[in-house]
Amino acid sequence: MRVLIVDDDAIVIRSCRRVLEAEGMDVHTASTVEKGEEMLADGDFDLMLTDIKMPGRDGFEMIARARRIRPGLPILMMSGYSTAGTIADGRRLGADHFIAKPFTPDELLQAVRHTIAQVDEPR
Amino acid sequence: MFHSIRFKLIASLIAVSLLVGLISILVGGNRLYQSVLDEAHNRIRQDLNVARVIYDDRVDTIRMAMETIASTTTLSQAAMVADPSSVPPSVNALANRIHLDFLGITDMAGQVFFRAGNPAPENRVISENPLVRWVVERNQPIAGTVVLSDAQLRAEDPELAVQARSTMHASPLVPGSSDGLTIGAAVPIVADGRRVGVLYGGCLLNGDTAIVDKIGETVFKNEIYKGRHVGTATIFHNDLRVATSVKDAAGNRALGTHASPEVARRVLGEGKRWTDRAMVLADWYITAYEPLADIAGNRAGMLYVGVLENKYADIRNKAIAMFAGITLAGVLFAIVLSWLLTGRIMRPVSYLIRASAEISSGNLHPNIGPISSDDIGQLQKKFMVMVEALQERERMQRKESETRLIQSEKQASVGKLAAGVAHEINNPLTAVLTFTHLILRRTDLPEDVRDDLAVVAAQTERVRGIVKSLLDFSRQTELTPTAMDVNVLVEDSIRLMENQALIKGIDLVFKPDPTLPILVLDRNQCQSVLINMILNAFDAMAAGGRIEITTRNAGEGPKGGVEISIADTGSGILPDHLDKLFDPFFTTKPVGKGTGLGLAVSAGIIQRHGGVITVKSKPGSGATFTIWLPHRPQDGGQELPEVQS
Repeated sequence: MRVLIVDDDAIVIRSCRRVLEAEGMDVHTASTVEKGEEMLADGDFDLMLTDIKMPGRDGFEMIARARRIRPGLPILMMSGYSTAGTIADGRRLGADHFIAKPFTPDELLQAVRHTIAQVDEPR
Repeated sequence: MFHSIRFKLIASLIAVSLLVGLISILVGGNRLYQSVLDEAHNRIRQDLNVARVIYDDRVDTIRMAMETIASTTTLSQAAMVADPSSVPPSVNALANRIHLDFLGITDMAGQVFFRAGNPAPENRVISENPLVRWVVERNQPIAGTVVLSDAQLRAEDPELAVQARSTMHASPLVPGSSDGLTIGAAVPIVADGRRVGVLYGGCLLNGDTAIVDKIGETVFKNEIYKGRHVGTATIFHNDLRVATSVKDAAGNRALGTHASPEVARRVLGEGKRWTDRAMVLADWYITAYEPLADIAGNRAGMLYVGVLENKYADIRNKAIAMFAGITLAGVLFAIVLSWLLTGRIMRPVSYLIRASAEISSGNLHPNIGPISSDDIGQLQKKFMVMVEALQERERMQRKESETRLIQSEKQASVGKLAAGVAHEINNPLTAVLTFTHLILRRTDLPEDVRDDLAVVAAQTERVRGIVKSLLDFSRQTELTPTAMDVNVLVEDSIRLMENQALIKGIDLVFKPDPTLPILVLDRNQCQSVLINMILNAFDAMAAGGRIEITTRNAGEGPKGGVEISIADTGSGILPDHLDKLFDPFFTTKPVGKGTGLGLAVSAGIIQRHGGVITVKSKPGSGATFTIWLPHRPQDGGQELPEVQS
């Protein structure tokens, strides 16, 4: 299972990578929206986990671009500061689920599974 | 300007003085004129009496002259022989002295033998003169008014007939109208104790000026008014003016003119006096007429006196003019007086009006001028009290809004800080949580390491909790209001807390006011406020405490609202703490038991509903928090600046 993590903070990427790799997932990472977009274009992924607040192009842009390139890709967004408004904006752009930072490994895994299940169900 | 009090006062004073003046002019002027007229009527009656006396005096003079002459012996001897040549010349001299127009002597049968004015022998006939006839027939002396016919006049003296006719130039010749009006006297002439003849003499009144001018001189003192004699006198033969001092338009005596028919009818026809205004020629006179009777008692003419009414009318006009002048002066005085008076009255009022305008435009320290000592002064004092109350209210409001502003600013800055901090902390916190939990998963950890690590995990969770409430605090911006019953809201909140109350052994009581109106509130946020309040109360109390929640309708109108009071029997709040109670991060709870954001968040929520939370407490005897919510939120309440991540 190929997972793409997009976040400008290396420690978040590292944390998520450790949790997901421990579950046997194939984790790829990008620190900017441009790089993430590039990687999505290059290869197939089963899930994208993206931060919202990033310098330059932000997570909303990432979600929008990912939807264009990979319409069926399950997208999980995460944020350290989330309001009902940001969550709604993300969902409108195509995110399937949301997880608030900080989270425990179990919470992250549960959110990932929930995202995939949510996307799989209608198919 | 025409609606100003000053104008109204001036206008009413002018109106009053005008009214008084006009009434004075109308009533006073007329009353005065009337009494003057009455007086004039009385005067003219007396004047007529005097005129009458003058007239009779003239008759008496003639009679006395006749008696004197008749008593002389030379005359009685002449009469005895009926010889005109023996009539002494002194008779003629006397006749001239008293201006007799005719004089004659007859024998006892009335046979004339001497005529002073017509000595021709062919005139020695039986005299038809009524005076002579009177003495001949009754053998008594007589004096008075007599009408002589044209023939009789001619017999006495042809000149007399001419003179009589000359006074009739203006009237048509009607039968009898060429008669002359005379006064005269006749006395018997006595010689040796027997009557031997009759002496008679008299004056023709037609054209005579002596009597009327004497009346004018005696009664009216020849008073001149505007170039004319004020008083006039006239002797009428019937209604014809035969002797008069009335002048016509050309300035000639108005001989031969007639009295007005009304006067003639009353005086000649009915034999009564006339005292009233009457038209004499072209002017109004105040007049008096009385009939003149001849010696036989027949009404032969009239005696008249009159004064120009103009003189009295002018008195009236002068009086009216004087009244008008007084009125005008009164009006002017009223204008000046009321101008000054209203100035005095209105000055403080003008000050008050200006002061009111200044207050409206925001100046709460207006100048109201010197305090006057009258009723207006009361108004000024009350006004000052009102101004002070306004100043006080303004002060209170400013203080309140300053407090609110400080509160909002505090919350806003703390909100921004919280948002920034939360975001920055959450990333590293994610790493700490992740790696702590990943290590905890390992099975090869020594037990003491595992325990220590569990502490790290727990404390990290605590940090997560703090950051979360910080975020909640900074994020409280939007309200989702719905219409609701406050009592139901309170009941729901209490139901959520009932279990905890039971566990803590605290009595939770609700006393709802059933008359509360429906309010529009954010259910979740308001409920969190109530729960927060109840939790705080729990924390302040040991088992056996009591929390009483009451609702109350607090007033009507724009300032009306609903009060929810949460009173506990806990430890109370120190006075020092009361001010800081709603500050973010202020807490009296032990470390780890509270973030100090609960009341700050609650206050923010209530503020955004347009309400306010107040607190009363005495240390040791509990605290009462009162939430006031307006019936209608004003301008959506006090918005907190929105905080963006």
